[in-house]
Amino acid sequence: MIKGITYLAQAWSWLAVAITWGAVFLLLAFLGVRGLDTLNLALLFGKTPAWQAITGALPVWHGIWPACAGTVALVLLSSLLAIPVGLASGIYLAQYAGGPWKKWFSLAVELLAGIPSIVMGLFGFALILFLRKTLAPQANTCLLLSAVCLALLVLPYLILLTQTALEAIPADLKVVGLSLGFTPWQNLVQVLLPLAARGILSGVILAVGRAAEDTAVIMLTGVVANAGMPAGILDKYEALPFNIFYLAAEARSEAELAQGFGAALILLILTGALFLGAYYLQSTLSTAWDRKKLAL
Amino acid sequence: MGPQETGALEPTVMVAGLHVGFEGREVLHGLNAEFYRGHVAVILGRSGSGKTTFLRALNRLNECFPGSATRGSVKLKLQSEWWEIYGNAAPLTELRRRVGMLFQTPHLLPGSIADNLALPGKLVLGWPRREIAPRVETALREAHLWEEVKDRLDASAHTLSGGQQQRLCLARLLALEPEILLVDEPTASLDFRASLKVEELLLSLKDRYTIIAVSHSLSQARRLADAALIFREGAVVQHLERADLQAPETLQTLLEEIF
Repeated sequence: MIKGITYLAQAWSWLAVAITWGAVFLLLAFLGVRGLDTLNLALLFGKTPAWQAITGALPVWHGIWPACAGTVALVLLSSLLAIPVGLASGIYLAQYAGGPWKKWFSLAVELLAGIPSIVMGLFGFALILFLRKTLAPQANTCLLLSAVCLALLVLPYLILLTQTALEAIPADLKVVGLSLGFTPWQNLVQVLLPLAARGILSGVILAVGRAAEDTAVIMLTGVVANAGMPAGILDKYEALPFNIFYLAAEARSEAELAQGFGAALILLILTGALFLGAYYLQSTLSTAWDRKKLAL
Repeated sequence: MGPQETGALEPTVMVAGLHVGFEGREVLHGLNAEFYRGHVAVILGRSGSGKTTFLRALNRLNECFPGSATRGSVKLKLQSEWWEIYGNAAPLTELRRRVGMLFQTPHLLPGSIADNLALPGKLVLGWPRREIAPRVETALREAHLWEEVKDRLDASAHTLSGGQQQRLCLARLLALEPEILLVDEPTASLDFRASLKVEELLLSLKDRYTIIAVSHSLSQARRLADAALIFREGAVVQHLERADLQAPETLQTLLEEIF
């Protein structure tokens, strides 16, 4: 009887792994078949010469380069806003908060984590309406507004992973710096944060990935189908996820639909590269010690 | 530790009526004790008898753990001046530097062997850059570790064996020029040979420091101790001198008493 259940559980585990791999494979194959043909310079830059397009000297028509640049700008700006706040909040929760404060603040973080991205988009939209009626009649949806809303969306990942990484350090190791006469600040910067670096970095990776792919937030807060290269943080911009959505929903020809698949492939490559870069950074950091061990 | 044994020795640590509790549960109940420079005092007792809490009361490390409350008097003689450490705001970082602590397992700082000494040196004592290398060497020599690591100071401290790591931690303490050493079961994670090395090292240091060590090995206590304190349920139940520890009859009662 028990043996039978064990076998069933094992079979189910294998099946679950197969389903995951199958789904990933099918998705990649589908994207590859539909999009691989469109991967060329024309997809990125249209008929504009590549160099002038990259530098923004000439506008790009029928190419997704401005959307790539928009997505990169969006990810950088929202990371810049979210990472300092997220790290500091995580450190506060793990190191300084206690009693009811910790409970209430943790609850707030969990609530924030549960907010759907479309609601975050609506929040941004309502914020602009409010600003137009009160302080700033000129205010409009823009790159900055999208970045702020995205930063709010990814904040819980950063907070929770930073907190978890710090709390995972054994209690004795946490006080060893203090026992040597370090101030709490020195202990945090010189001992605790380096020990928690790996966990914190995975929080950053998750946050960046989430910011790169989200569509619902930016749709309501400033992304448009045709804006050219992002001109400034108070201007409208293009972004890859929205570009894909737009091309898929409103394609007027087979060629445009194919371009949508190409854009999806580019987005996948972009986030994939981001993950690989972060993974490489993480493994070099953590094996720097091990490598010295091997060299002995 | 009667005056007839300690003779002209003057105490450097005086503990009176020390109560320590965590989140309402009292661990030490009005403890009294004295310790002397040039002596190794070993604290023996079952787990949970408050040995570690007592050590941590002497460098105020209990305060780093949630819900701690301390009452009573702990006076330390540091640089021939008496510090009431729970009294009028003794500077905490300075206190902890002068009252060094060695933990049960070696707790390394992130970085290389040299970093483990240089970082506290720079942060706590403000070593100037050009003095770092010679001071690191002095500390490693004092911990009998220099010959073993001099060719790989930049290697990760995790590449050292357990015993070497523990001696590195001791070197790190000594580099900070402490006066009192609190040693919490320093050989708990080491094999016999490595333990002996650490013990040898402690004995070679004893003339210059007040050493208070927690141990749960009676044989270790007999090798190290000038005096022993037996803890039970947060109080000192027995003081023993070196001679008592060596006598076979006390040994028998001790074994029954503690273990």
